[in-house]
Amino acid sequence: METRLPVRTGRLRRRLTVAFMVVAGVSAAILAVSSYVIVRETRLSDSVDRSLEQGRFNLVLAGETLGTHPTETQTNELLAAYRRRGAFETVGKSGSRTFSSSVSLGYPQVPDALKRIVAAGRLGYERETVVGQRYLVVGGRVESSDTELYYFFSEERLWDELGQLRTILLTVLGGLILLGGLVGAFLARGMLRPVARASAAAHSLAEGLLDTRLPVDSKDEFGTWAASFNEMADALEAKITALSAAQARERRFTSDVSHELRTPLTALVAEASLLAEQLDRMPPDARRPAELLVNDVARLRDLVEDLMEISRLDAGEARVRKELVDVGSLVSTAVRSRRWDDRVRVDREEVVVETDPRRLERIVGNLIGNALEHGGRDVSVRVSKDGIGAFVEVSDRGRGIEPDRLPHVFDRFYKADSSRAGPGSGLGLAIALENARLLGGDLDVWSEVGRGTRFTLRLPVT
Amino acid sequence: MDERLLLVEDDASIREVATLGLTKAGFRVTTAADGREGLLHFRQAPFDLVILDVMLPNLDGYEVCRQIRGESRVPIIMLSAKSDTVDIVVGLELGADDYVTKPFEMAELVARARAAVRRASVVPEEPVLVRGDLEIDPGAFMARRGDKELSLTATEFKLLLELARRPGQVFTRELLLQQVWNYEYLGDSRLVDVAVQRLRAKIEDDPKEPAMIKTVRGVGYRFDAG
Repeated sequence: METRLPVRTGRLRRRLTVAFMVVAGVSAAILAVSSYVIVRETRLSDSVDRSLEQGRFNLVLAGETLGTHPTETQTNELLAAYRRRGAFETVGKSGSRTFSSSVSLGYPQVPDALKRIVAAGRLGYERETVVGQRYLVVGGRVESSDTELYYFFSEERLWDELGQLRTILLTVLGGLILLGGLVGAFLARGMLRPVARASAAAHSLAEGLLDTRLPVDSKDEFGTWAASFNEMADALEAKITALSAAQARERRFTSDVSHELRTPLTALVAEASLLAEQLDRMPPDARRPAELLVNDVARLRDLVEDLMEISRLDAGEARVRKELVDVGSLVSTAVRSRRWDDRVRVDREEVVVETDPRRLERIVGNLIGNALEHGGRDVSVRVSKDGIGAFVEVSDRGRGIEPDRLPHVFDRFYKADSSRAGPGSGLGLAIALENARLLGGDLDVWSEVGRGTRFTLRLPVT
Repeated sequence: MDERLLLVEDDASIREVATLGLTKAGFRVTTAADGREGLLHFRQAPFDLVILDVMLPNLDGYEVCRQIRGESRVPIIMLSAKSDTVDIVVGLELGADDYVTKPFEMAELVARARAAVRRASVVPEEPVLVRGDLEIDPGAFMARRGDKELSLTATEFKLLLELARRPGQVFTRELLLQQVWNYEYLGDSRLVDVAVQRLRAKIEDDPKEPAMIKTVRGVGYRFDAG
């Protein structure tokens, strides 16, 4: 079965989307600004051309109507004639008299720059805003008259149209940027989905979901790549399945062997214990072999029991049954029940933890047993707690363990002192470590040659 | 001594060596090689103690234990494989008084066998104890609640007697193992826990909310007279 993967797209997708938006935005903006500028310039110069032409024509008309010093009646007639032509307002100055076709416009509203051009006898124009109204003002002197005339052409329509154009262009620009973003996001998603899927697949493989595969749904580079990825995953899965099957078989075998050994071992142990009671009454020839037999049965028993325990721990069948335990009194009882009182010093504080007392007893027994076996003298146990939690220290002043051997003391069947086969099974410390971890704690060792060894069991405090 | 003991064990070697050891310790041993034969023997003659292997052909040890417990309060010791710690609790819950894990030394089996017999046979000369509607008669080895006679095994009876003698006192599991089972170090606190469970099921109105045998968390148990 194929595991479904969540597709995650990250920063790359965001960056691609933004890039699309920028490209779309910049090109659209250039287009919009340049077309706006062109339209604006054309319209404005058109307006100037039209107004100048009209102005020139108006001045000619005025020349025919007005005299050298026109009277008020003449100027009024002129204004009336202009009004019939429409589309502009007129302001004039004849000598010191001024006149206007509009109440809001007058001589003072005429731009000074234009007045100077007109005073120099030329036709000119200026743009001017009066009370919010934009005008193109064309001015000139009437031929053979002392009269200056200024025509105010309203450009309000033109500017409104340009404003509308600007609004339209800006809207289109915004729309294009958005569209660019959407297209970018869509394309990026399509492009990056295989990458995101591959990344998720690699993660999930690493986490042990060996049936993870990538869909091969395209014929492009990603498709080929996905196919190779799947081949690799197939190989990996096959390898690991085979390995764990072999491992499971091996564990099963250990467990079966120890189970099968138990029945004859039970008989052996019971028989040896009966034999042990009779040793004194045996003939000397038989006594020594019987003694050896009794001891070896005890060794065999320890070994089989340790093997069974370790195979249970390996199989994950070990159960933890927690209760509140006074660690100090458990340690003292463990020492007394094994009759180690005279060889082990116990230094204890009041420490109560929630843990499995049988497993804790086993760990402590193994550690002290190991210290007595290898350390020999001055074995002491300290039960206490600190900021991290509760701990039990088992120390001896034996010969210590060489630094290169120290990392292996928890290995199965590892004997730190290889020159001498000890009486232990070689599994005691491995079992102690597994049990410590099962209880949520840990076990570590410190040792210095010539000074001794110290094992520290740490237990979590709830 | 001369107590009659029924040993049910399928492995011939173990059966023989256990018989040797137990006979030497003063028991009169009858053996059976499977569960059905064991039950048959049990129903033919009275026994003071039964030692039962868990893994038996025909009828397994649990079933034999359950059936014997249905008919008798005789002490039962289960022989259990150490590997299966659940076995132990299951056996105790079915009414076994104690267990011995394989492999075992004869001295241990003998010690447990003797302790079991002693629990069932010692009759203290004590007056009848009355706690609320609970009546405990040590001489007659009998307990009743109101009109109802309680069918307690020897271990359960001893446990109730010890607790009820001193109402309000907190008993640690270790103390109970010493006083009821007579074990110094051999004991397993699960013996106490399961026995208390069984006792509650027999004497309490609601074993889940015990009114008499209270748990003192992290310490042990306490008897409260109604």
